[in-house]
Amino acid sequence: MADITLLYVAPGAGDAGSGGGVPDALRRAADLEVRVAGALSAARDQFDGAIDCVVTAYELPDGTGIDLLAHVRETAPDCPCVLYDDVDPGTIDTGDVEGEIIEYIPRGSGDGERLASVVRDLVANRMQVAYPLPHDEDERLTALARYDPDDLSVTEAFDRLADLAVEHFGGRVAFVGLVDEREERFVACQGTDWERLDRQDTICTHTILEEDLMVVENVQEDPRFASAERLVELDIRSYAGATLTTPAGQTIGTFCLVDDEPRAYSERERTYLRLLADEAAEQLELRRRLVEAERGTESGRTESETEGGREGES
Amino acid sequence: MYGFDSGLDLQPVSPGTSVVITGPAMSGLTELTLRLLACGDREGLIVLSTDDPADEVIANYERRDGRFDHGRMAVVDCGKARETTSEDGNVRSVTSPTDLTGLGIQFTSLYEELYRGGIDAVRVGVLSVSSLLLYAKEFRNVYRFLHTMTGRIRSADGLGVFALDPSSHDDRAVQSIVQTFDARIELRETDGGREFRVRGLAEQPEDWRSYEPVAPG
Repeated sequence: MADITLLYVAPGAGDAGSGGGVPDALRRAADLEVRVAGALSAARDQFDGAIDCVVTAYELPDGTGIDLLAHVRETAPDCPCVLYDDVDPGTIDTGDVEGEIIEYIPRGSGDGERLASVVRDLVANRMQVAYPLPHDEDERLTALARYDPDDLSVTEAFDRLADLAVEHFGGRVAFVGLVDEREERFVACQGTDWERLDRQDTICTHTILEEDLMVVENVQEDPRFASAERLVELDIRSYAGATLTTPAGQTIGTFCLVDDEPRAYSERERTYLRLLADEAAEQLELRRRLVEAERGTESGRTESETEGGREGES
Repeated sequence: MYGFDSGLDLQPVSPGTSVVITGPAMSGLTELTLRLLACGDREGLIVLSTDDPADEVIANYERRDGRFDHGRMAVVDCGKARETTSEDGNVRSVTSPTDLTGLGIQFTSLYEELYRGGIDAVRVGVLSVSSLLLYAKEFRNVYRFLHTMTGRIRSADGLGVFALDPSSHDDRAVQSIVQTFDARIELRETDGGREFRVRGLAEQPEDWRSYEPVAPG
């Protein structure tokens, strides 16, 4: 199975008899699965959550690579994009997306080996994300995977803790969130029904770089978040988040309070929030041990059944 | 390794490193940044200038380091019509510091040209991150831009030197942006002159060290 799924977009790409127009190095690479599109509209149709990187020509029959960049940033904002063309960079019209980033690799006469190398770097090093990354991000994500986040929403203990927080602080929303590679998933949420947010739209992705907790008394006055439209849409005007840390020291999520008006948090309130976060982290740890013990039992049972079967055969 | 002029008490740093220099813009921030960008004979250079026109950057650079070699050195400035402004294509412009898309395209295309020209050690300077933050429509776009640059510098074994004047920004924003880099050099002015100290680089002096400026700026 390929490590990276790539969307390659160029006029004529995919046409029969031309090898699809895809550079040889991309077609040869065992670690790359290449999907192709010959136009902007086809690229939009093909672009989904499985795509790890987009490589596009500038001029497309029904638009430009910059138009595709705008679509990618709206749909899957962390996905890296590359312009692969020989057009003079100075003539590229960046139009309405002049804050977004796309790499430029000259097509030249090579077989695309350099392009393949840049694509691997972009994906592996998450080079086009729009938020700060912890220095131990890979280890952090590995740790998070051990807590089985796909199934965590069934855990009622987190709902009770979030409920307690809303009652105690009198705020609008309390939640337990796990910060995954591309999104934050809410495993408990009281006061609203959020399920997930793109990571770049969350304050929590900044909180996980803190040692303890982060308070933003007025989101609109904090330059890091003042221009974030999604926070305005969700009516998040103040925020307090405490980190959820594993026994090994990896921060995998946050316990948070948000309100629809600016507010401050006293030392006592911060201490209480810390307590709630510690309790949530302990619940996560207990649950991880339980799940691993169950898996161990099942795996042991399977092994003994297999061995029993073999004995029966002999 | 990337070395520095002997007037600075700095040990060479490893390829792939990106350093932010923080200090007052009017007290030698540009001067110190350009000194760290002074290239060896076989190194390449790309400077992104948000405030000063390219010819001024080149004049400043030459005042400290001798010749600006167009065969392996390039400048992208902001504020002119987007067009190639030199015959060799190594002096370029984007319309404004808000056009991070254009800056990113010019930066990566120049890096690729140096790479294809066989230059595998490249120093990259940004003068300055402060202006990018001031002009950016969204703060997070600056993150994405800086991640792209530091990521490219890391994977291509380059050296990044980024100038930032903290006094122009909210402390929270500065702390957050500084986390993007591998190391920080703090600059300050004292009664007797100028001093710097290093944070985050192995085998470098962490205490304040004085140095002599080589030219105003």
